[in-house]
Amino acid sequence: MENALLVGLSRQVTLRRELDVIANNLANLGTSGFKGENVLFEQFLASGAREDNFESPLDRQIAFVIDRETRTDLSQGAFEQTGSALDVAIDGEGFFVIETPQGDRYTRAGGFSINATGELVTAAGYRVLGEAGPIVVDPNDTNIAIARDGTISTPAGERGKIRLVRFENPSQLTKFGDNLFSSETPPNPIDPRTRVVQGSIEKSNVRPILEIGRMIEVTRAYTTLANLMSRSDELRQAAIERLAEVPA
Amino acid sequence: MRALYTAATGMMAQELNVEVISNNIANMRTTGFKRQRAEFQDLLYQSLRRVGTVTSDQGTRLPVGLDIGAGVKVVGTPRIMTQGNVLQTEKQLDVAIRGEGLFRIQMPDGRIAYTRAGSFEIDAEGRLVTPEGFVVDPVITIPQDAASITINQQGVVQVQQTGQTAPTELGQLQLARFVNKSGLEPIGDNLFLETASSGAPQPGNPGTDGIGTLLQGHLEQANVNPVTEVSDLIAAQRAYSMNARVITAADEMLQATAQMLR
Repeated sequence: MENALLVGLSRQVTLRRELDVIANNLANLGTSGFKGENVLFEQFLASGAREDNFESPLDRQIAFVIDRETRTDLSQGAFEQTGSALDVAIDGEGFFVIETPQGDRYTRAGGFSINATGELVTAAGYRVLGEAGPIVVDPNDTNIAIARDGTISTPAGERGKIRLVRFENPSQLTKFGDNLFSSETPPNPIDPRTRVVQGSIEKSNVRPILEIGRMIEVTRAYTTLANLMSRSDELRQAAIERLAEVPA
Repeated sequence: MRALYTAATGMMAQELNVEVISNNIANMRTTGFKRQRAEFQDLLYQSLRRVGTVTSDQGTRLPVGLDIGAGVKVVGTPRIMTQGNVLQTEKQLDVAIRGEGLFRIQMPDGRIAYTRAGSFEIDAEGRLVTPEGFVVDPVITIPQDAASITINQQGVVQVQQTGQTAPTELGQLQLARFVNKSGLEPIGDNLFLETASSGAPQPGNPGTDGIGTLLQGHLEQANVNPVTEVSDLIAAQRAYSMNARVITAADEMLQATAQMLR
């Protein structure tokens, strides 16, 4: 009898987590370079009781549900033209390499700026790495141009090339916050077909309609389960009352 | 319910986004105004199942973890320092900068401020000042009997004095440039101050060392594009209502839980 309650509860716990993930996706609707997430569920089989306690072979296993993983959707987000010379979007697979105090991190958010010493940095102030260390422009440089392969040049000459990397297995990337990803395995050089676009920013790839749809589904499933659970509770209550009735 | 707080961060971020956009639109006609953009980043993640955890004695590992994010934050409002349109005004003390550089302005408290708005006036002592009366640095004093004032591309100020045939040179307007001009601190009145992240000002004459040239009788308009601002505003508004919907959904779920107990 409790099984219906517990199975329902296992689903409710995962639904709440799914709503948390949807909330995070929707909160980051305007975050450049953000990649949305999906929760994947799996069946978790547990026997109702130890099999050897029972003689009957008909003892059925009960399927609970658990959330196994959040999978990051690494698909390309839409490009928004900003007109700012230091905004760079990656067209294709790949990541920028960012130097943080915790080590190298990777990002698709290309809204860069130049700091007081002329280094190319992210909005949080971390240095953007080039093929040969941080990219530094001269204080007198104007008209910074970023070529399709990431080479940064000014009328006075080349200033470096933005390092782009890709991962053999992008699903092992974990989100670090601050639009950054961290990786346990070292990155590989990118496919030469990957291009960068100056003056554009890659928007979040969260699709609001999909998220709202998922959200409605989650709330409805949750309410249905809540109803189901109270029904089974009523059933049990009725059973106890009826069975306990002593015929006069 | 974490979703409640996550959605709240989303609403707060979009609210700030609307504030930034409305300031851009409000300053659509402000001379020398440079638009801002709200830059967002995701917050930290809670790992419920860590990626790479060993899942069996055979050494199999979790290929993907279970990470739940905590929302969004605004990391900054960088200023987009692109050139604005140049509008002809035919006023001889209106000067637009084409290219890099900012005018230096002496503040009454002794600090030096910088501006792109070149709509200057002459004060009682004949000095070139901003509309607030702050003196342009280096000081240029225009004599009483000046008939016409000429400011050339390189910033040389000349006047034609009554009764003279040759123009008199009064001085040289200088501009300053910064390596990170987006790092300047706005203080209102179209003025900016130097900060630790803007770098030190590099003064120079217009037309030299990558500094832009001057254009007399013109003003630089704000670099706000109304069409993109309005579409950004719509997107921000929609994102706000979607986050509000998440709060309603979380609330419905909490309500359903509460009603289970009867």
